Amino acid sequence: MSYNLCFAEVRRGKFEEKNFDMLGLCSLLEGQTFVLLPKSEIEVKGVERIIEVDLREESFLSPLSLVVVFEEVRKRYGDPEFLLFPHSSFGMDVAPYMAGYFGFSFLSDLSSEREGLLLKPFFSEKALAGFQFEAPPPYVLTVRSGSFKGLARKEGMPEREQLRIAILEEKRSFVEYVSEETPDVDISKADFLLSIGRGVGSREEIPSYEILAQRLKATLSASRPVIDKMWLPKSRQVGISGRTVRPKVYFAMGISGSFQHIQGMKDAECIIAVNRDPNAPIFQYAHFGVVEDMHRVRDMLLELLGKG
Amino acid sequence: MEVIVFVKRVPSFEEEEVRIRQDGSTLDLSGIPFRMNDWDSYALEEAVRLVERFGGSVTAVTIGTDEDDEVLRRSIACGAKDGFLIREGAFVEPIRRAGLAKALIEKEGLRFDLILTGVQAEDDQFASFGGILAGLLKIPYAGMVVGIEEALGDSLTVRREIEGGMQERIRISLPCVLSIQTGINQPRYVSIMGIRRASRVERKVIEGGKILSAERSRLRLERFFYPEKKERAKMLEGDLLGVCQGILGILREKGVL
Repeated sequence: MSYNLCFAEVRRGKFEEKNFDMLGLCSLLEGQTFVLLPKSEIEVKGVERIIEVDLREESFLSPLSLVVVFEEVRKRYGDPEFLLFPHSSFGMDVAPYMAGYFGFSFLSDLSSEREGLLLKPFFSEKALAGFQFEAPPPYVLTVRSGSFKGLARKEGMPEREQLRIAILEEKRSFVEYVSEETPDVDISKADFLLSIGRGVGSREEIPSYEILAQRLKATLSASRPVIDKMWLPKSRQVGISGRTVRPKVYFAMGISGSFQHIQGMKDAECIIAVNRDPNAPIFQYAHFGVVEDMHRVRDMLLELLGKG
Repeated sequence: MEVIVFVKRVPSFEEEEVRIRQDGSTLDLSGIPFRMNDWDSYALEEAVRLVERFGGSVTAVTIGTDEDDEVLRRSIACGAKDGFLIREGAFVEPIRRAGLAKALIEKEGLRFDLILTGVQAEDDQFASFGGILAGLLKIPYAGMVVGIEEALGDSLTVRREIEGGMQERIRISLPCVLSIQTGINQPRYVSIMGIRRASRVERKVIEGGKILSAERSRLRLERFFYPEKKERAKMLEGDLLGVCQGILGILREKGVL
Protein backbone atom coordinates (compact mmCIF):
# COMPACT_ATOMS: atom_id res chain seq x y z
CA MET A 1 0.00 0.00 0.00
CA SER A 2 1.46 3.39 -0.88
CA TYR A 3 0.91 6.39 1.35
CA ASN A 4 2.01 9.99 1.88
CA LEU A 5 2.86 11.23 5.34
CA CYS A 6 1.89 14.76 6.42
CA PHE A 7 3.72 16.20 9.43
CA ALA A 8 1.15 18.55 10.96
CA GLU A 9 2.04 21.78 12.69
CA VAL A 10 0.05 22.15 15.90
CA ARG A 11 0.67 25.25 18.00
CA ARG A 12 -1.06 25.77 21.32
CA GLY A 13 -3.47 22.98 20.56
CA LYS A 14 -4.52 24.44 17.21
CA PHE A 15 -4.22 22.59 13.90
CA GLU A 16 -2.65 25.36 11.84
CA GLU A 17 -4.38 26.51 8.65
CA LYS A 18 -1.22 26.00 6.59
CA ASN A 19 -1.51 22.23 7.09
CA PHE A 20 -4.35 22.18 4.56
CA ASP A 21 -1.92 22.94 1.74
CA MET A 22 -0.23 19.57 2.35
CA LEU A 23 -3.61 17.87 2.47
CA GLY A 24 -4.63 19.61 -0.76
CA LEU A 25 -1.46 18.46 -2.49
CA CYS A 26 -2.13 14.90 -1.31
CA SER A 27 -5.38 14.90 -3.27
CA LEU A 28 -3.22 15.16 -6.42
CA LEU A 29 -0.87 12.35 -5.37
CA GLU A 30 -1.40 8.62 -5.52
CA GLY A 31 -1.80 6.66 -2.32
CA GLN A 32 -3.43 7.19 1.04
CA THR A 33 -2.96 10.26 3.18
CA PHE A 34 -1.61 9.80 6.71
CA VAL A 35 -1.38 12.69 9.16
CA LEU A 36 1.08 12.70 12.04
CA LEU A 37 -0.07 14.72 15.07
CA PRO A 38 1.21 15.40 18.58
CA LYS A 39 -0.97 14.40 21.54
CA SER A 40 -4.25 16.24 21.02
CA GLU A 41 -7.99 16.00 20.51
CA ILE A 42 -7.69 17.31 16.97
CA GLU A 43 -9.75 15.63 14.28
CA VAL A 44 -8.88 15.90 10.62
CA LYS A 45 -11.34 14.88 7.92
CA GLY A 46 -10.67 13.80 4.36
CA VAL A 47 -7.61 11.67 5.15
CA GLU A 48 -7.23 7.91 5.62
CA ARG A 49 -5.25 7.72 8.83
CA ILE A 50 -4.25 9.82 11.79
CA ILE A 51 -1.23 8.77 13.79
CA GLU A 52 -1.30 10.51 17.16
CA VAL A 53 2.11 10.51 18.77
CA ASP A 54 2.34 10.39 22.54
CA LEU A 55 4.36 13.63 22.72
CA ARG A 56 3.43 17.17 23.72
CA GLU A 57 3.45 19.56 20.80
CA GLU A 58 6.63 21.34 21.94
CA SER A 59 8.58 18.07 21.90
CA PHE A 60 6.89 16.90 18.71
CA LEU A 61 7.84 20.04 16.77
CA SER A 62 11.55 19.24 16.72
CA PRO A 63 13.73 17.61 14.07
CA LEU A 64 15.41 15.33 16.57
CA SER A 65 12.13 13.93 17.93
CA LEU A 66 10.54 13.52 14.53
CA VAL A 67 13.46 11.43 13.28
CA VAL A 68 12.69 8.96 16.10
CA VAL A 69 8.95 9.16 15.38
CA PHE A 70 9.51 8.52 11.70
CA GLU A 71 11.63 5.42 12.43
CA GLU A 72 8.60 4.00 14.24
CA VAL A 73 6.19 4.90 11.45
CA ARG A 74 8.32 3.25 8.78
CA LYS A 75 8.59 0.09 10.94
CA ARG A 76 4.80 -0.18 10.77
CA TYR A 77 4.07 0.98 7.25
CA GLY A 78 7.32 1.02 5.31
CA ASP A 79 8.52 4.18 3.59
CA PRO A 80 5.96 6.69 2.28
CA GLU A 81 6.21 8.14 -1.22
CA PHE A 82 6.21 11.69 0.11
CA LEU A 83 6.98 13.21 3.50
CA LEU A 84 5.16 16.54 3.54
CA PHE A 85 5.63 19.63 5.68
CA PRO A 86 4.25 23.16 5.62
CA HIS A 87 6.87 25.63 4.39
CA SER A 88 6.93 27.41 7.74
CA SER A 89 9.36 27.89 10.59
CA PHE A 90 8.46 24.32 11.63
CA GLY A 91 8.83 22.83 8.15
CA MET A 92 12.11 24.63 7.49
CA ASP A 93 13.37 23.33 10.83
CA VAL A 94 12.45 19.67 10.32
CA ALA A 95 12.07 18.77 6.62
CA PRO A 96 15.68 19.34 5.47
CA TYR A 97 16.97 17.55 8.56
CA MET A 98 14.84 14.50 7.69
CA ALA A 99 16.13 14.56 4.11
CA GLY A 100 19.75 14.68 5.24
CA TYR A 101 19.32 12.15 8.05
CA PHE A 102 17.61 9.50 5.93
CA GLY A 103 19.20 10.40 2.59
CA PHE A 104 15.86 11.22 0.93
CA SER A 105 15.44 13.51 -2.09
CA PHE A 106 14.29 17.02 -1.23
CA LEU A 107 12.43 19.99 -2.64
CA SER A 108 11.14 22.95 -0.66
CA ASP A 109 8.62 25.75 -0.97
CA LEU A 110 6.48 24.01 -3.59
CA SER A 111 3.94 26.58 -4.77
CA SER A 112 2.27 25.03 -7.82
CA GLU A 113 2.39 22.30 -10.42
CA ARG A 114 2.56 22.90 -14.17
CA GLU A 115 3.17 20.60 -17.16
CA GLY A 116 4.10 17.81 -14.76
CA LEU A 117 6.77 19.93 -13.12
CA LEU A 118 6.95 20.96 -9.47
CA LEU A 119 7.29 24.73 -9.24
CA LYS A 120 8.98 26.75 -6.54
CA PRO A 121 9.75 30.47 -6.44
CA PHE A 122 13.26 31.86 -6.95
CA PHE A 123 14.49 35.45 -6.41
CA SER A 124 11.64 36.67 -4.18
CA GLU A 125 8.96 35.33 -6.53
CA LYS A 126 10.37 37.03 -9.63
CA ALA A 127 10.78 33.63 -11.31
CA LEU A 128 9.44 30.12 -10.81
CA ALA A 129 11.72 27.13 -11.22
CA GLY A 130 10.17 23.89 -12.51
CA PHE A 131 11.72 20.72 -11.11
CA GLN A 132 11.46 17.02 -11.63
CA PHE A 133 12.71 14.30 -9.31
CA GLU A 134 15.11 11.91 -11.01
CA ALA A 135 15.64 9.54 -8.11
CA PRO A 136 13.08 7.04 -6.75
CA PRO A 137 11.00 7.98 -3.66
CA PRO A 138 10.79 8.81 -0.80
CA TYR A 139 10.68 12.54 -1.41
CA VAL A 140 10.65 15.24 1.26
CA LEU A 141 8.61 18.30 0.29
CA THR A 142 7.65 21.54 2.01
CA VAL A 143 4.49 23.18 0.69
CA ARG A 144 3.89 26.91 0.47
CA SER A 145 1.03 28.34 2.45
CA GLY A 146 -2.01 29.17 0.31
CA SER A 147 -0.89 27.01 -2.63
CA PHE A 148 -3.02 23.85 -2.61
CA LYS A 149 -5.44 24.20 0.29
CA GLY A 150 -8.48 24.60 -1.95
CA LEU A 151 -7.98 20.99 -3.05
CA ALA A 152 -8.11 19.49 0.45
CA ARG A 153 -10.88 16.90 0.74
CA LYS A 154 -13.37 17.60 3.47
CA GLU A 155 -15.27 14.33 3.81
CA GLY A 156 -14.41 10.98 5.29
CA MET A 157 -13.42 9.97 8.82
CA PRO A 158 -9.94 8.57 9.21
CA GLU A 159 -8.71 5.63 11.25
CA ARG A 160 -6.96 6.88 14.36
CA GLU A 161 -4.10 5.16 16.12
CA GLN A 162 -1.70 6.00 18.93
CA LEU A 163 2.06 5.83 18.70
CA ARG A 164 4.11 5.59 21.89
CA ILE A 165 7.64 6.85 21.69
CA ALA A 166 10.08 5.37 24.18
CA ILE A 167 13.31 7.21 23.54
CA LEU A 168 13.48 10.96 23.36
CA GLU A 169 16.45 12.88 22.06
CA GLU A 170 17.88 15.02 24.85
CA LYS A 171 20.15 17.03 22.63
CA ARG A 172 17.55 19.64 21.80
CA SER A 173 14.86 20.58 24.28
CA PHE A 174 12.06 23.11 24.38
CA VAL A 175 12.29 25.67 27.18
CA GLU A 176 9.41 28.11 26.63
CA TYR A 177 7.47 30.24 24.20
CA VAL A 178 8.55 33.88 24.21
CA SER A 179 6.33 36.72 23.00
CA GLU A 180 7.57 40.11 21.99
CA GLU A 181 7.75 42.93 24.50
CA THR A 182 4.51 44.89 25.03
CA PRO A 183 3.95 46.78 21.79
CA ASP A 184 3.70 50.56 21.75
CA VAL A 185 0.87 50.30 19.25
CA ASP A 186 -1.26 47.51 17.81
CA ILE A 187 -0.89 47.89 14.04
CA SER A 188 -3.46 45.16 13.43
CA LYS A 189 -6.15 47.52 14.78
CA ALA A 190 -5.25 50.50 12.58
CA ASP A 191 -7.59 51.57 9.73
CA PHE A 192 -4.85 53.26 7.75
CA LEU A 193 -1.25 52.04 7.65
CA LEU A 194 1.63 53.85 6.02
CA SER A 195 4.18 51.07 5.60
CA ILE A 196 7.81 51.52 4.62
CA GLY A 197 10.32 48.98 3.30
CA ARG A 198 13.90 48.47 2.23
CA GLY A 199 13.62 51.36 -0.24
CA VAL A 200 13.75 53.83 2.66
CA GLY A 201 17.51 53.34 2.48
CA SER A 202 18.80 54.76 5.74
CA ARG A 203 17.88 55.41 9.35
CA GLU A 204 18.07 59.16 8.78
CA GLU A 205 15.00 58.98 6.54
CA ILE A 206 12.74 57.40 9.18
CA PRO A 207 11.68 60.59 11.04
CA SER A 208 10.34 62.16 7.85
CA TYR A 209 8.05 59.15 7.37
CA GLU A 210 6.91 59.49 10.96
CA ILE A 211 5.96 63.05 10.10
CA LEU A 212 4.21 61.94 6.91
CA ALA A 213 2.27 59.33 8.90
CA GLN A 214 1.18 62.02 11.40
CA ARG A 215 0.06 64.38 8.65
CA LEU A 216 -1.88 61.59 6.93
CA LYS A 217 -3.27 60.46 10.32
CA ALA A 218 -1.91 57.01 9.48
CA THR A 219 -0.09 54.51 11.69
CA LEU A 220 3.49 53.78 10.63
CA SER A 221 4.41 50.15 9.98
CA ALA A 222 7.20 48.45 8.05
CA SER A 223 8.43 45.35 6.26
CA ARG A 224 11.11 43.06 7.60
CA PRO A 225 14.29 44.77 6.33
CA VAL A 226 13.44 47.96 8.26
CA ILE A 227 12.75 45.99 11.45
CA ASP A 228 15.91 43.87 11.02
CA LYS A 229 17.98 47.03 10.95
CA MET A 230 16.18 48.09 14.15
CA TRP A 231 15.00 51.34 12.60
CA LEU A 232 11.50 50.64 13.94
CA PRO A 233 10.37 48.32 16.76
CA LYS A 234 9.38 44.71 16.02
CA SER A 235 5.74 45.48 16.91
CA ARG A 236 5.55 47.53 13.69
CA GLN A 237 6.40 44.58 11.44
CA VAL A 238 3.84 43.44 8.87
CA GLY A 239 4.25 39.87 7.59
CA ILE A 240 4.17 36.20 8.56
CA SER A 241 6.75 36.63 11.29
CA GLY A 242 5.24 39.94 12.40
CA ARG A 243 1.59 40.98 12.32
CA THR A 244 -1.19 40.16 9.88
CA VAL A 245 -3.15 43.33 9.10
CA ARG A 246 -6.43 44.12 7.31
CA PRO A 247 -6.71 47.92 7.29
CA LYS A 248 -9.02 49.95 5.08
CA VAL A 249 -5.96 51.39 3.35
CA TYR A 250 -2.46 49.96 3.21
CA PHE A 251 -0.07 52.49 1.70
CA ALA A 252 3.21 50.68 0.95
CA MET A 253 6.27 52.76 0.12
CA GLY A 254 9.53 51.14 -0.96
CA ILE A 255 8.24 47.62 -0.27
CA SER A 256 8.92 45.13 -3.06
CA GLY A 257 6.51 42.53 -1.68
CA SER A 258 8.20 39.33 -0.52
CA PHE A 259 5.87 36.39 0.01
CA GLN A 260 6.24 36.67 3.75
CA HIS A 261 5.18 40.32 3.62
CA ILE A 262 2.29 39.83 1.19
CA GLN A 263 0.79 37.13 3.41
CA GLY A 264 0.57 39.70 6.17
CA MET A 265 -1.31 42.44 4.22
CA LYS A 266 -2.96 41.03 1.11
CA ASP A 267 -6.44 41.21 2.62
CA ALA A 268 -6.34 44.98 3.11
CA GLU A 269 -9.40 46.66 1.54
CA CYS A 270 -7.26 48.99 -0.57
CA ILE A 271 -3.53 48.68 -1.25
CA ILE A 272 -1.54 51.56 -2.73
CA ALA A 273 2.07 50.78 -3.63
CA VAL A 274 4.95 53.09 -4.49
CA ASN A 275 8.14 51.45 -5.76
CA ARG A 276 10.99 52.36 -8.08
CA ASP A 277 11.02 48.87 -9.61
CA PRO A 278 8.14 48.41 -12.10
CA ASN A 279 8.56 44.63 -11.68
CA ALA A 280 8.18 44.65 -7.91
CA PRO A 281 5.85 41.78 -6.94
CA ILE A 282 3.77 44.12 -4.77
CA PHE A 283 2.16 45.56 -7.92
CA GLN A 284 0.53 42.15 -8.43
CA TYR A 285 -1.38 42.63 -5.19
CA ALA A 286 -1.89 46.38 -5.05
CA HIS A 287 -5.05 48.14 -6.25
CA PHE A 288 -3.14 51.28 -7.16
CA GLY A 289 0.51 51.51 -8.14
CA VAL A 290 3.06 54.25 -8.66
CA VAL A 291 6.50 53.62 -10.18
CA GLU A 292 8.53 56.33 -8.50
CA ASP A 293 11.19 56.97 -5.88
CA MET A 294 9.44 56.85 -2.50
CA HIS A 295 11.32 59.88 -1.19
CA ARG A 296 10.11 62.04 -4.06
CA VAL A 297 6.54 60.95 -3.37
CA ARG A 298 7.03 61.69 0.33
CA ASP A 299 8.31 65.19 -0.37
CA MET A 300 5.45 66.00 -2.73
CA LEU A 301 2.81 64.61 -0.36
CA LEU A 302 4.23 66.68 2.52
CA GLU A 303 4.13 69.74 0.33
CA LEU A 304 0.53 69.10 -0.72
CA LEU A 305 -0.58 68.36 2.83
CA GLY A 306 1.19 71.50 4.01
CA LYS A 307 -1.00 73.61 1.76
CA GLY A 308 -4.00 72.03 3.50
CA MET B 1 34.69 27.97 20.18
CA GLU B 2 35.50 26.75 16.66
CA VAL B 3 32.89 27.95 14.19
CA ILE B 4 32.45 27.11 10.51
CA VAL B 5 30.22 29.51 8.61
CA PHE B 6 28.83 28.74 5.15
CA VAL B 7 28.32 31.77 2.92
CA LYS B 8 27.04 32.15 -0.64
CA ARG B 9 27.45 34.76 -3.33
CA VAL B 10 24.14 35.45 -5.06
CA PRO B 11 22.80 37.61 -7.89
CA SER B 12 20.69 40.39 -6.45
CA PHE B 13 17.44 40.96 -8.31
CA GLU B 14 16.12 43.44 -5.78
CA GLU B 15 15.75 46.16 -8.38
CA GLU B 16 16.43 44.08 -11.47
CA GLU B 17 14.26 42.28 -13.93
CA VAL B 18 14.66 38.50 -14.24
CA ARG B 19 15.34 37.44 -17.83
CA ILE B 20 14.97 33.78 -18.73
CA ARG B 21 17.25 32.67 -21.57
CA GLN B 22 15.92 31.08 -24.75
CA ASP B 23 16.79 27.58 -23.51
CA GLY B 24 14.30 28.11 -20.66
CA SER B 25 16.54 26.55 -18.02
CA THR B 26 19.09 29.32 -17.41
CA LEU B 27 18.88 33.00 -16.58
CA ASP B 28 20.60 35.91 -18.26
CA LEU B 29 22.76 37.30 -15.47
CA SER B 30 24.58 39.93 -17.52
CA GLY B 31 24.55 43.27 -15.72
CA ILE B 32 23.08 41.78 -12.54
CA PRO B 33 24.99 42.77 -9.38
CA PHE B 34 26.25 40.00 -7.09
CA ARG B 35 26.74 40.19 -3.34
CA MET B 36 26.91 38.05 -0.23
CA ASN B 37 23.55 36.47 0.52
CA ASP B 38 21.86 38.73 3.05
CA TRP B 39 21.10 35.91 5.53
CA ASP B 40 24.73 34.74 5.41
CA SER B 41 25.99 38.22 6.37
CA TYR B 42 24.08 37.84 9.62
CA ALA B 43 25.41 34.28 10.14
CA LEU B 44 28.96 35.50 9.54
CA GLU B 45 28.56 38.40 11.96
CA GLU B 46 27.11 36.07 14.61
CA ALA B 47 30.05 33.66 14.15
CA VAL B 48 32.58 36.47 14.59
CA ARG B 49 30.77 37.78 17.69
CA LEU B 50 30.72 34.31 19.30
CA VAL B 51 34.45 33.98 18.77
CA GLU B 52 35.00 37.46 20.19
CA ARG B 53 33.03 36.36 23.27
CA PHE B 54 34.34 32.84 23.79
CA GLY B 55 37.63 32.72 21.89
CA GLY B 56 38.38 30.31 19.06
CA SER B 57 38.19 31.00 15.36
CA VAL B 58 35.88 31.24 12.36
CA THR B 59 36.40 29.40 9.08
CA ALA B 60 34.34 30.56 6.09
CA VAL B 61 33.31 28.16 3.34
CA THR B 62 31.55 28.77 0.04
CA ILE B 63 30.47 26.50 -2.79
CA GLY B 64 30.63 27.89 -6.30
CA THR B 65 32.97 29.27 -8.94
CA ASP B 66 36.23 31.25 -8.77
CA GLU B 67 34.31 34.53 -8.64
CA ASP B 68 32.74 33.46 -5.36
CA ASP B 69 36.11 33.97 -3.70
CA GLU B 70 34.80 37.50 -3.18
CA VAL B 71 32.57 36.36 -0.28
CA LEU B 72 35.51 34.56 1.34
CA ARG B 73 37.60 37.75 1.24
CA ARG B 74 34.67 39.62 2.74
CA SER B 75 34.34 36.97 5.48
CA ILE B 76 38.03 37.24 6.32
CA ALA B 77 37.76 41.03 6.40
CA CYS B 78 34.93 40.58 8.92
CA GLY B 79 37.07 38.43 11.18
CA ALA B 80 37.22 34.90 9.77
CA LYS B 81 40.62 33.20 10.11
CA ASP B 82 40.61 31.46 6.73
CA GLY B 83 38.39 30.27 3.91
CA PHE B 84 37.61 27.39 1.58
CA LEU B 85 36.09 27.49 -1.88
CA ILE B 86 34.52 24.23 -3.05
CA ARG B 87 34.50 24.55 -6.81
CA GLU B 88 31.28 23.33 -8.46
CA GLY B 89 29.11 24.07 -11.47
CA ALA B 90 26.13 26.36 -11.82
CA PHE B 91 23.00 24.99 -10.14
CA VAL B 92 23.87 22.67 -7.28
CA GLU B 93 20.90 20.96 -5.66
CA PRO B 94 20.60 21.27 -1.88
CA ILE B 95 21.42 17.62 -1.14
CA ARG B 96 24.70 17.87 -3.06
CA ARG B 97 25.62 21.23 -1.53
CA ALA B 98 25.27 19.74 1.94
CA GLY B 99 27.06 16.56 0.84
CA LEU B 100 30.01 18.63 -0.37
CA ALA B 101 30.10 20.50 2.92
CA LYS B 102 30.21 17.26 4.89
CA ALA B 103 32.91 15.86 2.61
CA LEU B 104 35.04 18.99 3.06
CA ILE B 105 34.76 18.86 6.85
CA GLU B 106 35.78 15.20 6.89
CA LYS B 107 38.52 15.30 4.25
CA GLU B 108 40.14 18.46 5.62
CA GLY B 109 39.65 17.33 9.21
CA LEU B 110 37.98 20.64 10.14
CA ARG B 111 37.22 20.77 13.86
CA PHE B 112 34.10 22.62 14.94
CA ASP B 113 31.78 23.20 17.85
CA LEU B 114 29.25 25.07 15.80
CA ILE B 115 28.25 25.43 12.16
CA LEU B 116 26.32 28.55 11.16
CA THR B 117 24.64 29.47 7.91
CA GLY B 118 21.85 31.77 6.76
CA VAL B 119 18.24 30.54 6.90
CA GLN B 120 18.00 30.72 3.13
CA ALA B 121 19.69 32.03 0.00
CA GLU B 122 18.11 34.92 -1.86
CA ASP B 123 18.49 33.16 -5.20
CA ASP B 124 16.99 29.67 -4.92
CA GLN B 125 15.21 30.12 -1.57
CA PHE B 126 15.52 26.44 -0.62
CA ALA B 127 16.02 27.25 3.09
CA SER B 128 17.50 23.80 3.53
CA PHE B 129 21.31 23.74 3.54
CA GLY B 130 21.87 23.87 7.31
CA GLY B 131 19.18 21.31 8.06
CA ILE B 132 20.36 18.80 5.48
CA LEU B 133 23.97 19.19 6.63
CA ALA B 134 23.00 18.57 10.27
CA GLY B 135 21.00 15.52 9.19
CA LEU B 136 23.95 14.14 7.22
CA LEU B 137 26.32 14.75 10.14
CA LYS B 138 23.70 13.38 12.58
CA ILE B 139 24.16 16.30 14.96
CA PRO B 140 21.45 18.57 16.45
CA TYR B 141 19.93 21.35 14.38
CA ALA B 142 17.82 24.46 14.91
CA GLY B 143 16.56 26.68 12.11
CA MET B 144 15.34 30.32 12.11
CA VAL B 145 17.55 31.32 15.03
CA VAL B 146 17.04 34.95 16.10
CA GLY B 147 19.14 34.92 19.26
CA ILE B 148 22.04 32.99 20.79
CA GLU B 149 21.66 33.76 24.47
CA GLU B 150 24.09 31.78 26.52
CA ALA B 151 26.58 28.96 26.38
CA LEU B 152 26.58 26.57 29.34
CA GLY B 153 29.11 23.76 29.22
CA ASP B 154 28.48 21.97 25.97
CA SER B 155 25.11 23.51 25.16
CA LEU B 156 23.58 26.76 23.94
CA THR B 157 20.31 28.50 24.70
CA VAL B 158 18.87 29.94 21.52
CA ARG B 159 15.63 31.58 20.38
CA ARG B 160 13.89 30.43 17.19
CA GLU B 161 11.43 32.56 15.29
CA ILE B 162 8.00 31.11 14.71
CA GLU B 163 5.09 32.83 13.02
CA GLY B 164 2.92 35.69 14.27
CA GLY B 165 5.58 37.54 16.26
CA MET B 166 6.24 34.50 18.49
CA GLN B 167 9.52 32.86 19.37
CA GLU B 168 10.53 29.69 21.18
CA ARG B 169 13.50 29.30 23.49
CA ILE B 170 15.33 25.97 23.26
CA ARG B 171 18.50 24.34 24.56
CA ILE B 172 20.72 22.59 22.07
CA SER B 173 23.90 20.53 22.56
CA LEU B 174 27.18 21.23 20.83
CA PRO B 175 28.36 20.42 18.28
CA CYS B 176 25.34 21.54 16.28
CA VAL B 177 24.20 23.44 13.20
CA LEU B 178 22.16 26.66 13.45
CA SER B 179 20.51 28.55 10.58
CA ILE B 180 20.54 32.26 11.28
CA GLN B 181 17.62 34.60 10.58
CA THR B 182 18.11 38.21 9.48
CA GLY B 183 17.92 40.84 12.22
CA ILE B 184 19.75 38.72 14.84
CA ASN B 185 22.51 41.35 14.89
CA GLN B 186 23.75 44.35 12.92
CA PRO B 187 26.48 43.14 10.56
CA ARG B 188 29.59 45.30 10.82
CA TYR B 189 30.75 47.58 8.08
CA VAL B 190 33.57 46.18 5.98
CA SER B 191 35.75 48.58 4.05
CA ILE B 192 37.06 47.99 0.55
CA MET B 193 40.56 48.29 2.06
CA GLY B 194 39.73 45.55 4.54
CA ILE B 195 38.57 43.26 1.76
CA ARG B 196 41.72 44.02 -0.21
CA ARG B 197 43.90 43.22 2.81
CA ALA B 198 42.00 39.95 3.26
CA SER B 199 43.21 38.75 -0.12
CA ARG B 200 46.61 38.17 1.52
CA VAL B 201 45.08 35.47 3.72
CA GLU B 202 45.10 32.02 2.16
CA ARG B 203 41.86 30.64 0.79
CA LYS B 204 42.04 27.00 -0.21
CA VAL B 205 40.33 25.85 -3.38
CA ILE B 206 38.96 22.30 -3.37
CA GLU B 207 37.44 20.63 -6.43
CA GLY B 208 33.92 19.45 -5.59
CA GLY B 209 34.24 16.40 -7.84
CA LYS B 210 37.36 15.27 -5.98
CA ILE B 211 35.80 15.15 -2.51
CA LEU B 212 32.35 13.88 -3.52
CA SER B 213 31.78 11.86 -6.67
CA ALA B 214 29.10 13.32 -8.90
CA GLU B 215 26.32 10.80 -8.55
CA ARG B 216 23.21 11.07 -10.65
CA SER B 217 21.25 14.19 -9.73
CA ARG B 218 18.08 13.60 -7.75
CA LEU B 219 16.39 16.81 -8.65
CA ARG B 220 16.55 18.30 -12.11
CA LEU B 221 15.85 21.94 -12.84
CA GLU B 222 13.88 21.60 -16.09
CA ARG B 223 12.96 25.18 -16.82
CA PHE B 224 12.09 28.59 -15.45
CA PHE B 225 8.75 30.34 -15.78
CA TYR B 226 7.71 33.92 -15.26
CA PRO B 227 5.06 34.24 -12.56
CA GLU B 228 1.57 34.79 -13.93
CA LYS B 229 0.83 38.48 -14.06
CA LYS B 230 -2.37 39.34 -12.30
CA GLU B 231 -2.17 42.99 -13.44
CA ARG B 232 -4.30 44.04 -10.56
CA ALA B 233 -2.81 47.43 -9.82
CA LYS B 234 -4.17 50.44 -11.65
CA MET B 235 -1.01 52.44 -12.31
CA LEU B 236 -1.12 56.15 -11.57
CA GLU B 237 0.91 57.84 -14.25
CA GLY B 238 1.93 61.36 -15.20
CA ASP B 239 3.93 64.01 -13.39
CA LEU B 240 4.77 63.71 -9.71
CA LEU B 241 2.27 66.38 -8.67
CA GLY B 242 -0.60 64.70 -10.49
CA VAL B 243 0.31 61.27 -9.13
CA CYS B 244 0.45 62.56 -5.55
CA GLN B 245 -2.85 64.39 -5.91
CA GLY B 246 -4.20 61.09 -7.20
CA ILE B 247 -2.97 59.28 -4.08
CA LEU B 248 -4.59 61.87 -1.77
CA GLY B 249 -7.79 61.57 -3.79
CA ILE B 250 -7.89 57.81 -3.21
CA LEU B 251 -7.24 58.28 0.53
CA ARG B 252 -10.14 60.76 0.76
CA GLU B 253 -12.42 58.51 -1.23
CA LYS B 254 -11.64 55.61 1.12
CA GLY B 255 -12.48 57.90 4.04
CA VAL B 256 -9.13 57.71 5.83
CA LEU B 257 -8.05 61.28 5.15
